[in-house]
Amino acid sequence: MNGWNNKVLDIDLTAQTYETYPLDMEIARLFIGGRGLGACLLWDLVGPEVDPLDPENVLIFTNGPLTGTGYQTSNRFSVTTKSPLTGTILDANSGGFWGMRFKKAGYDVMIVRGKASKPVWVEIKNEEITFHDASDLWGMRVFALTEKLGQNNNKRNVLCIGPAGENLSRIAAIMNDRERALARGGPGTVMGSKNLKAIVVEGKTRPKIEDKGRFKFLLYESRKLLAASPVTSQALPEFGTVVLMNIMNNICALPTRNHQQSQFEGAEAISGEALTDNYLVKNDSCWACPIGCTRISKTDKVKGEGPEFESTWAFGAQCGIDDLPAIIEANSICNDLGLDTISAGSTIACAMELSEKGYMNSGLRFGRADQLAPTLEAMAARENVGADLADGSFRLASKYGHPELSMSAKGLEMPAYDPRGMQGQGLLYATSNRGGCHMRGNMVGPEVLGLPKMIDRFQVQGKSSFVTLHQNVSAAIDSLVICKFTNMGVAEEYFARVLSAVTGIHYDTGELTQVGERIWNLERLYNLREGFTKEDDTLPPRMLNDAPAEGPSAGRVVKLNPMLKEYYRGRGWDENGVPLQAKLKELKLVNLGV
Amino acid sequence: MPTIKLYANLRNIAGTTEVSITPPSGMLRSVSRESNLGACVSALIEQVPALDGVIVEDGQIKPYIVININGHAATNFDVPVGKDDVIAIFPPMAGG
Repeated sequence: MNGWNNKVLDIDLTAQTYETYPLDMEIARLFIGGRGLGACLLWDLVGPEVDPLDPENVLIFTNGPLTGTGYQTSNRFSVTTKSPLTGTILDANSGGFWGMRFKKAGYDVMIVRGKASKPVWVEIKNEEITFHDASDLWGMRVFALTEKLGQNNNKRNVLCIGPAGENLSRIAAIMNDRERALARGGPGTVMGSKNLKAIVVEGKTRPKIEDKGRFKFLLYESRKLLAASPVTSQALPEFGTVVLMNIMNNICALPTRNHQQSQFEGAEAISGEALTDNYLVKNDSCWACPIGCTRISKTDKVKGEGPEFESTWAFGAQCGIDDLPAIIEANSICNDLGLDTISAGSTIACAMELSEKGYMNSGLRFGRADQLAPTLEAMAARENVGADLADGSFRLASKYGHPELSMSAKGLEMPAYDPRGMQGQGLLYATSNRGGCHMRGNMVGPEVLGLPKMIDRFQVQGKSSFVTLHQNVSAAIDSLVICKFTNMGVAEEYFARVLSAVTGIHYDTGELTQVGERIWNLERLYNLREGFTKEDDTLPPRMLNDAPAEGPSAGRVVKLNPMLKEYYRGRGWDENGVPLQAKLKELKLVNLGV
Repeated sequence: MPTIKLYANLRNIAGTTEVSITPPSGMLRSVSRESNLGACVSALIEQVPALDGVIVEDGQIKPYIVININGHAATNFDVPVGKDDVIAIFPPMAGG
């Protein structure tokens, strides 16, 4: 079989040793790579007795058989671990160049175990693995560290944590290639708990492709499809993802001031149009990507990648702030400190509401753009008010007696789509295996943009089937590992064909989607084993009980219970959300001893 | 009069962010009382010819174009429009 390198790198930080061994190809066939492989390995390696910050927790970096082949967006990679923020299974994935380089260094998987006795960084040059003392690097911010360790997109790629991860902020990100992020759920915290500052990789070996002629033809066809789609050829390159700000506001589904409202009077000022007109330098792209959705923005204080829609929303509408330069600067600060922008912004918003209501004495107030930068610095350093905010909104709100004011699901802060204006999105957040997340099957396509077709965003009955399909396809794409924006122009059947051409194993669309379903069910089982129950498939009370007073979503709350019943049934689970034996057998999970 | 708000590259094409439409020549019903979306879009294109071919294709809303009336999606041109309604037209977009 081609595509995979058939090689696992297993690093023990405690002993500062490593070994390599073949990848289990039966597992690879069933789970492909990326998120799928990560879930399968984590199931075996980390059980309920392990705290996320124990040395026994692991970081599993994975790529997929398409990574590094040059197929559209074949640059992405995943990290899987147990989340220190939520306690669930966590995978995060990132773009840029590091994932491609790690594949070209000759590996499919890197498992990082144990804990170094003092800070280290690891250098991978093909088969040469070196542990370096990072004592003099500890404390360095991401941008300076990335440069110091020799970042070069074409040759040598740096993955690292900033001060947030070192100080064990539970919303710390792992950063790669300077400003790309494995952000959600605290993977940077786990890396910091291991005293691991950075992993630098060099490698040049292209992965082997089984049917080169067919691959070349599919690459050509995919490129034409992406060029023909107005979304991937015009919308994303010209405006980036922030272009969603105005449409979400228009339909009254833009969470504002910690989800107290669903429309923001300052949305236009922080829109994609405003960013493009006033602060955009150019667009940019990851390796092997023809789309180019990355923004390079500049203010008087910063110049760099981003911001994306979620980040702009988190520091913008969610905090009641319409100062776009301050938001761009906050995004850059998060990248430099190694913080998840969504969780950081939403945690600040939670603190603003707690303070304005007199439950907390932080001085933070909605609309105060000047408070963003110093608060983020304090969070990364765990100093002053930052010590309270460093571990996310749920721990913050719980400490001050009002957990219901954390706008999170399973402890992960929800992103920029108010589920009271999108019923399907509400079900998505409540059932997502890593918590309040839109990237596990974003319903903005069918419920807002009419992609592929407009469905009634307020409809409840039947909605679960769309959510389930989106979740399964999303998981499959995360196992390849490619960018979901490719799916805006190229259908899943092409991914199945490309996978077949690269690996020599026949996959059709149904089998590929079933891989996604398999991954979803295994993740579910992992969380059940950790002690999560159907009671955790829920949303904050505000989403279930407090309707917006005016606007197009006025009077609406999320009708979760009927959707959940339908969802469990459709997934082949019992009334408690536990996968039935028949489903496990169908997905071949029983064969794995699950 | 209904107001039409334009977004993203539609603004660049039209040279404006907002258009108050006036009844196009030959319309059967005045847009100041009641109309349908098709009449409003016809009026828009008559006022802003640069939008011809951008929003409408073969008499239907062009694929990938999203039209909301007061924040609610309209999927065909027969949807009624009141005189104080706000029509928002979005070009192809994506995000996440």
